[in-house]
Amino acid sequence: MNRPSTVLALIISAMRANRLLWGLIAGFALFPILTYTADLPFWNDIAMRIMLLGMAAMGLNLVLGYGGMVSFGHAAFIGIGAYCVGISQFYGLTNGWAHLAISILACGVAGLIIGYLALRTTGIYFIMITLAFAQMLFFLFVSLESFGGDDGMSIDRADFLLVDLYDPHRLYFLIWLCLSFVALALMLIVRSRFGVTLAAIKSNESRIEAMGLFPLRYKMTAYVISAVICGIAGTLFASWQEYVSPDIMHWTRSGELMIIIILGGLGTIAGPLVGAIVFLLLEEILPIMLGSIAPAYAENWMIIFGPLLIMVVLFGRGGLTGLLARWEKAGRTGTRHENRP
Amino acid sequence: MTITLILEQTFNGLQAGVTLFLVAAGLTLILGIMDFVFLAHGAQVMIGAYAAAAIAEASGNFYIGLILAIPVTFASGYLLEYLLIRHLYRRDHMEQVLATFGLILFFNELIRVGFGPAALYSDLPPSLSGFVEILPGTPYPVYRLGVIVAGLACALAIHLLVVHTRIGAMVRAGANNPEMTAALGINIKILFRFIFAVGACLAGIAGMLLGPLTSVQPGMGEPLLILSLVVIIIGGIGSVRGAFIAAIIVGLVDTLGRVFLPGLLRLVVDQSTADGAGPALASMLVYILMAAVLIFRPTGLFPAKG
Amino acid sequence: MTVPVLELCSLDKSFGALAATRDVSFSVQPGEIHALIGPNGAGKTTLIQQIYGASAPDRGMVLLEGQNITSMAVPDRVRAGIGRSFQISNVLMDFTVLQNGIIAEQARLGQSFRFFHPAFEDSALIDGAYQILDRVGLTPRAGQKVSNLAHGERRMLELALALATSPSLLLLDEPMAGAGPEESQRMADIIDGLRGTMAILLIEHDMDAVFRLADRITVLVEGAVIASGTPHEISNHKAVKAAYLGSE
Repeated sequence: MNRPSTVLALIISAMRANRLLWGLIAGFALFPILTYTADLPFWNDIAMRIMLLGMAAMGLNLVLGYGGMVSFGHAAFIGIGAYCVGISQFYGLTNGWAHLAISILACGVAGLIIGYLALRTTGIYFIMITLAFAQMLFFLFVSLESFGGDDGMSIDRADFLLVDLYDPHRLYFLIWLCLSFVALALMLIVRSRFGVTLAAIKSNESRIEAMGLFPLRYKMTAYVISAVICGIAGTLFASWQEYVSPDIMHWTRSGELMIIIILGGLGTIAGPLVGAIVFLLLEEILPIMLGSIAPAYAENWMIIFGPLLIMVVLFGRGGLTGLLARWEKAGRTGTRHENRP
Repeated sequence: MTITLILEQTFNGLQAGVTLFLVAAGLTLILGIMDFVFLAHGAQVMIGAYAAAAIAEASGNFYIGLILAIPVTFASGYLLEYLLIRHLYRRDHMEQVLATFGLILFFNELIRVGFGPAALYSDLPPSLSGFVEILPGTPYPVYRLGVIVAGLACALAIHLLVVHTRIGAMVRAGANNPEMTAALGINIKILFRFIFAVGACLAGIAGMLLGPLTSVQPGMGEPLLILSLVVIIIGGIGSVRGAFIAAIIVGLVDTLGRVFLPGLLRLVVDQSTADGAGPALASMLVYILMAAVLIFRPTGLFPAKG
Repeated sequence: MTVPVLELCSLDKSFGALAATRDVSFSVQPGEIHALIGPNGAGKTTLIQQIYGASAPDRGMVLLEGQNITSMAVPDRVRAGIGRSFQISNVLMDFTVLQNGIIAEQARLGQSFRFFHPAFEDSALIDGAYQILDRVGLTPRAGQKVSNLAHGERRMLELALALATSPSLLLLDEPMAGAGPEESQRMADIIDGLRGTMAILLIEHDMDAVFRLADRITVLVEGAVIASGTPHEISNHKAVKAAYLGSE
């Protein structure tokens, strides 16, 4: 295949390589029409949450699924992005684009520092260290009384110039636009020379060294990119919710991102988005299901979700996108395919 | 800043360190020998606390609560390993993280369903409620002193077990070189189960001891879990000795830091900066310590693997 | 006098009480095939690790074309001209043979840090990858996933990737390990064909191959060099015979 010579050809080739992803994104674009005609605007809110959570999970997936780095601290970057809005407003800066720029810078720097310290280790150490750093940042924000501390701070929805965010439809499409941009960027990155090298490092780090490359540079770059993506999600979330508190970066939020990734499937771009859909739907459905069986315990739906998660880990290979891929393969060849571990 | 305050806070730091050690000891072995990311270790703390509180309530006797809760937590660890954990050893770390995360969610919710979401307050018997003078003019709660003593007794017991028994030798061999230990024909499966159960037991003891000091509620173990991860990073994965020393250090630094750092800062910078930055810095202190250890000794102060 | 491609000066390395490398000094001339032989446990791999940069000597120096590389990290040494084929195949298992070549080619060109165009569809990279594979005759297997390759084919890929950086010094750590007679022959032919284009330090247990290929041989026993010279000199060396060849 010849080298795509224009940006457009590049984009089209990227889209063709991942139809599920772009199908979903198109779906999100058309979704408000559905909710508008059915008069269920509440579902727009859920869709926005899915898009933001999916965006953050996609960011984490770059280092987790493609880079093989199990980072348990990415909620910290979502939090930093969110607090960039709050803190900027505290000092009188209300322009949303400025918030995004500050968030990108702040998360880039934080990702660089934490990435550098954490990536000196591997395996269990790495997981523990990323968790510890995230917890450190959590405690930092809890103790910053001037920014609300434990109670958090309320925010005015940012002024995005040209985009009046108090119009819910404009907000929806701003989020949709950012998601599409992130998805496209990730698609390009993952298939690029950088992305391929990153995947190779996950496969066999010493072989990459033997080719004359320093794996740390690639891992750190991926880490910073993923931190920035999570930060963007956080910034948009804070502006939308008009509130930010340290809870947004509690370590269990990082766990949530991982759950989303494994539900949807690790090594694909669409996976985290699929996972976010499933996760948030489960969050809505399980309490209702439990409530119909045992009304007094509807709130305790986690008691089902916990074991469900364990089941997915034990028996669900490759998440939902893996399942879809297996069905697709079986359908095409007409036989049952043994999935490679 | 009086001697009384310093002494009192130092003892508090020791108490925090000793309970932290109980949690970290089991976890460092699980991480080091089984290479298993057991996030739900905090749940073991919670189980121990609830078991002790429930038994104490039912029997009317605090001590019976403590004593009977120990086999309960041992059994819970044993069962958990047998039913679920052993199937996850060969999985990659992320899957272990997620499965044990699911366990945390499950256990927290189970406790909520069984005991309600509100905290249980366990009362201390009169024999443990008073004060004792550790120095003339320095009263200190008897119970906290008791916790320190109990914790040190456990540490001694572990030391004797690890250093002077055959099982201990196997544990040390496993920490130093798991593959070789298995190759030597030692029944790894039973060894793992035993280590797991003992770890659960220790975590449960920490929970039982802490119950009257903090409060017995769902999710009480998680903050301890994360702090014990910091302890393990500083001490070195797989090293019980490292866990002990690091736990004492972390306990002291955290306690003394929170109390004295804001004051110390005021000596260096102006009042308002110190008041703003003080608490923030104090809460981050142990993590900064961890980062420092990471920079100079990435495998911790006393790594088990030579 | 030509600068040797590799010069080892009094290398020492101990693991606790065990002296794995004892005052090792020898050199490899440009274009020669230099074999390193010795009984198992002689410390050959440890020595290779120190030349390659995966482990650091306690004392001594490693010079590459006169440049002191003793404290350089592995990727820097590779860029300076060292190539290595590993004893246990160290290829990228989750990728196809061609993809392995593409990743090596983009690394060679210094392009690995680019973010936009799809790497596996780039015609320049693909052409370069095929050239890498052609050197060892793996072109017919280009589309195969490496995990599906036979052992011998993986060894060939291993060699191809090591050659991809056009090294001035090639470290071959038991390239024929586990290969059948036919594959060993092919491997030996390829190595023979490289003579003169680069210096090769060859660790091998297959004595036929060693004596056929080597211009010079160094014998390592218990971490120390006991002899160094032409194959003829070595085969007549008393101490070598006693320590190594005699015990066969």
